[in-house]
Amino acid sequence: MKRTRQKETKNLILTGVGGQGNVMASRTLAGMLVDAGYIVTIGETFGMSQRGGSVMSHLRISPDSVKSPQIPRGEADVIVALEPLEALRVLTVYGNPQVCVLSNARPAYPIGVITGELSYPSGENIQVAFQRLSKAFWIIDATSAALALGNPVLSNIVMIGALAKTGLLPIDRRMFEKEIKKTLAADKCAVNLKAYDAGGGMIK
Amino acid sequence: MTKLLSPAKSKVLFLGNEAIARGALEAGVSVATGYPGTPSSEVIESLAHVASERNLYVEWSVNEKVALEVAAAASFAGLRSMAVMKQNGVNVASDFLLHLTASGTRGGLVLVSCEDPGALSSVNEGESRYFARMLEMPLLEPSDFQEAKDLTKWAFELSEQIGNVVMLRSVTRMSHASGNVICGKLPVKSRKAHFEYDGSVMDSSRGPMISTPVVAKHLLHQEKLKDIEALFEKSPFNRYVGPGKPELLIITSSACFLYAEEAVEMLGLQKRVGILKLGTTWPLPPKLLEKHLRKTKKILIVEEVLPFLEENVKVLAASLVSRIGINTFYGKYDEMLPSAGELNPDIVAAALCHILKVKRKTLPANYLNDSQKAAALIPVREQTFCAGCPHRASFWNIHNAIALDGRKGFVCGDIGCYSMAALSPATGYHTMPTLHSMGSGTGLASGFAKLAQFGLDQPILTVCGDSTFYHAVIPALINAQHNRADITFIVLDNAGTAMTGFQPHPGLAISAMKEVVPAVDIAAICSAIGAKVAVSDPFDLETTGKILTSFLADKGLLKVLILRQACALSPEKKGKKIFDVKVNESLCLGDACGCNRLCTRVFRCPALTWDRTTKKAVVDEVICAGCGVCVSICPQKAIIKL
Amino acid sequence: MINRLKLLKKIFSGYIIQDEADVNNFNKIITESKKDLNKLNFMKKSVVKTTISKKFIIILPQNPGCDINANQKLGCPMRKKPGSQAKLKKDVLEQSLCTGCGACVGLCPYQVVYRDRTVQLHDCDLTDGKCYAFCPRTPADYGQIRESLFDVSDVTPEIGAVKGYHLSRAADPALRAKAQHGGTVTALLGVAMAESLIDSAIVSSRNEELEQEGRLVEAKSQLCDYAKSKFTVSPTVAAFNRLMGDTAGKVGVVTTPCQALALAKMKTARINDDGKINPLNLVIGLFCGWTLSVESFNRLLQQYQISPEAVTGMDIPAGKNVLEIYTKASATSVPMVEVDACVRTACRYCIDSTAEFADLSVGAARFGGDCDEMCGWNQIIVRSEFGKQLMELAVARGALEIREAPASALQDLKNAAAEKKRKALKNIVEKSRSVKNLLYLSSDDPVVRKYLDAGTKQRS
Repeated sequence: MKRTRQKETKNLILTGVGGQGNVMASRTLAGMLVDAGYIVTIGETFGMSQRGGSVMSHLRISPDSVKSPQIPRGEADVIVALEPLEALRVLTVYGNPQVCVLSNARPAYPIGVITGELSYPSGENIQVAFQRLSKAFWIIDATSAALALGNPVLSNIVMIGALAKTGLLPIDRRMFEKEIKKTLAADKCAVNLKAYDAGGGMIK
Repeated sequence: MTKLLSPAKSKVLFLGNEAIARGALEAGVSVATGYPGTPSSEVIESLAHVASERNLYVEWSVNEKVALEVAAAASFAGLRSMAVMKQNGVNVASDFLLHLTASGTRGGLVLVSCEDPGALSSVNEGESRYFARMLEMPLLEPSDFQEAKDLTKWAFELSEQIGNVVMLRSVTRMSHASGNVICGKLPVKSRKAHFEYDGSVMDSSRGPMISTPVVAKHLLHQEKLKDIEALFEKSPFNRYVGPGKPELLIITSSACFLYAEEAVEMLGLQKRVGILKLGTTWPLPPKLLEKHLRKTKKILIVEEVLPFLEENVKVLAASLVSRIGINTFYGKYDEMLPSAGELNPDIVAAALCHILKVKRKTLPANYLNDSQKAAALIPVREQTFCAGCPHRASFWNIHNAIALDGRKGFVCGDIGCYSMAALSPATGYHTMPTLHSMGSGTGLASGFAKLAQFGLDQPILTVCGDSTFYHAVIPALINAQHNRADITFIVLDNAGTAMTGFQPHPGLAISAMKEVVPAVDIAAICSAIGAKVAVSDPFDLETTGKILTSFLADKGLLKVLILRQACALSPEKKGKKIFDVKVNESLCLGDACGCNRLCTRVFRCPALTWDRTTKKAVVDEVICAGCGVCVSICPQKAIIKL
Repeated sequence: MINRLKLLKKIFSGYIIQDEADVNNFNKIITESKKDLNKLNFMKKSVVKTTISKKFIIILPQNPGCDINANQKLGCPMRKKPGSQAKLKKDVLEQSLCTGCGACVGLCPYQVVYRDRTVQLHDCDLTDGKCYAFCPRTPADYGQIRESLFDVSDVTPEIGAVKGYHLSRAADPALRAKAQHGGTVTALLGVAMAESLIDSAIVSSRNEELEQEGRLVEAKSQLCDYAKSKFTVSPTVAAFNRLMGDTAGKVGVVTTPCQALALAKMKTARINDDGKINPLNLVIGLFCGWTLSVESFNRLLQQYQISPEAVTGMDIPAGKNVLEIYTKASATSVPMVEVDACVRTACRYCIDSTAEFADLSVGAARFGGDCDEMCGWNQIIVRSEFGKQLMELAVARGALEIREAPASALQDLKNAAAEKKRKALKNIVEKSRSVKNLLYLSSDDPVVRKYLDAGTKQRS
């Protein structure tokens, strides 16, 4: 599939919980886009935030210039979330009526929820919020797809595959394949491609 | 071929820290040293990967001061070298740094400080820029990824020109952000090392490397700094964007330039606001500043964290007042911008709105309303020890031993993942009420233990990680032993510098460059200074608990317990479960009297979740690391190893 | 100076407080949320809003649950009323009323015994906890418990229910030689086991540091290994609690008065889950004047240069007012004044010296009286029907010898027991500083009223 070249800066936020492969996903995406000739700026926090906390990568995809590694509030174009609560968290800060959301369905419960002091919003409440706060949204069970492929951490690649299928970014399978051939060991490429395809298959 | 060695002219996506590493390679660096610390670690890590290919010596040193000393030796022998650390590392290195700036250097020596405004992964947001002014070092601050590479390369040349160390300052949003970089050429030849010392004492290229005669060398250094100032006047890293006669001039540096640029664009103020971006922030180039300060009466200085640039600009403006007139400065002093925490485009935009009396476009009111309603549904996600983390088991043991002892003992904390025991107190089961710099836990414990004569009768414990032990704990431990401090010192040995990404340390038989090296044994050091030493596995709750309670009861001496268990994220453990664990629902008492959810309510492992419908604990197979500790704590033996 | 960006602290659930408009919005949410109680609780738990100056409002995340105390301080109580565990701490542990009986231990992971102290390891917030219900030092309707376990007509104010009163000793002289006095308890347990009235017995056993623990004995032959007075407290009920999970058979327990009371509360408590108490078939109580605190007693031993692990036995010989401590090599006499100082504080508030809630209570024959004729014999009080059957069976099987006590003995025992009640009630009133507050006791209980009156009369 040939993508048309975007003319304006696109702001994408990739979010999740420490340990879900957020950084790997954002670098893979960025690598694909740099290869396609875009100027990409990624803003990340990692270090302590890895330890079970919320993690967020800001991707600025520009045809011509370096951008601030922090996206201003209310200025996200696309939100990709490996965890639904984190999608909501990001949406309430960076969302706007034009934003599109792609979220994994499987919750990772914060400790406060596990201990019982806090409540995790119901799936229904999350959907309602997505509906009100986005132009379009997709919720897919990427973790189950990844588990079916033998490793839950592949859910990040499932999400990339799904993201490509939504058409929100100028990326395709050929770009993905080229990128992982550069960054991953050869024996891992096949399963990652499967995960990518599984993701694409989940977007109708 | 690794990305870091991409050929000249290739366009690559680099992490800020990789860009710094690439710049050093292009400058022909030979020796690179550092101590791991977020957000600085990737510079040394990525250089270590290419060490053999590029004939480098790359070292994870025992601490930042030694790192700078090792790098300085290379410089004295004529090589280009670099020492890399996080902001507070510069404090550790600062004693040597003071003397180093006084003696001068030979081969280009660059000190890279990666700072953490907002303390995103630190327990401080310390500023090291003031060291540049205090110790009279040139200071460079890149504001995008290309500059991170180019300024690093230039820093080496500058260092050789001035015969002194040059400081390059990055921040988390630069070091840990990524962007496009066009690579330059990598040099072909490397230098040969030789240390000349026969020349005169004032001959910095042939004489001894010492700071005396102090005053004479100091004057000489200040003279050279004047030359640097002149160079900075023409530096392409200082540039102005904006109209000829702006209403407001922003003076900024580092990542704040990108925030300022974004804010101006967001508000459509390109025709009213100009931005002077400085890459050389100390000493300031006076002529350049004069030229731009003349342009307008209103000046906003945008920087993180303290008003370093603002102060320097104001001092300069005061001396130029007869020529540039009186300006109004906005910044930290008038609280237009906060002098705590990091900045972002929104904060800069808000300041611009206020100064220029413009309004930022807002989202529709009903959208904001819905958004805020949704926000109210979102529970906080507290940081915690990972599933399978040995620290959780260690603090479980520590908490229980303190509770059994009954004298309200406490743990003096230290820096590592285990710091989270203090940051979110329930993570450490409320045992760790102090947390300062590396090694300070042991120093504080040593002090608390001497307060018995004033009535303090609480048992004193302290913890440190294996890497921290070597970094800064040993002097404090010797102090404790020599001064008969009754403390229980616990080494949380998880086999690597886990928090920053498993860099090796002196306790491991491997170096940064993956060479086999002698390991220095913590237990042997502790025994050698005369402490009572025990080693245990924190996952073995029974044995560890017994040792700890006996240590707390054993009064009057220094006791060391080394708790050995590799980090759950360590390369050898990650993705591999020791046990498959599950909950036998028929045995689980849930929230009934007799258990009341010990595992999910008190133990708090993220892999154990609470099913509110069945009222049973559930093991989340995706998160569980299979350490099996929950099996030991379940009063019903309902959690089982498969 | 007004309308200007002041502070930007992100923070609460992704909501960024960044300028005054945000602060106003935030306040608006809080106000609006007040309509919805759930949301309000969430907000209260999730954030702490501190106005530190006119200029700054800092909104920090309050990690809920990570510091319940902090939340309470901030006026965000996590629970409506304090949990049982907190009450146990406040009413018993902090009042030095804990007898160390172990009733609250072994039921759950939260209470443990360490060096004869009851330690609460972690917080539990349940409100109807067994720990509080079973503790012999929490308020309860003790009259009601007496009525449900014994014939009302047997109950005496001084020493509880009395169905029979005798002197007794084990028939086997070898057993007597190993026992503290007459070996009655060991003989009774032996018969109960032999006749399958119980499958196992929980007795107390001490370790080298004189700390005690309950021990399950399943073979009759092992019984006499534990047949000695211990003088320090044993968390025997904890062993019962713990072992209940593992044993299916019927159990006999040898207890001090406080432990017998704990077991009685378990039998009669409304919280009686899964029939866990059902295996309890026999409670043999021991007369008890006080127990020693391990920590202070070990210090005392240190003064006499006796190592705790060397102690082979202890006794209070009649009329000498000393505690004799035996080791393999020597016997040391310690004046009772010094021993008194080591008595567990809780024992000073105990009104029961004869284990009134047991099936049978056994003590040294001289307890109360002092009579050579009774030396080497035990006094035994038969309280329940089951106790009576067991004693008769033991006699019939030739394991136990009994004889009538001298005429004055029962009265002496009653007098001594009544004196302990008076003293304890006096101590309680001194502690609470009010005759209206009797801590775990109540003046509605006729027994309490009787000796409380006597006590206060004496004082006035």
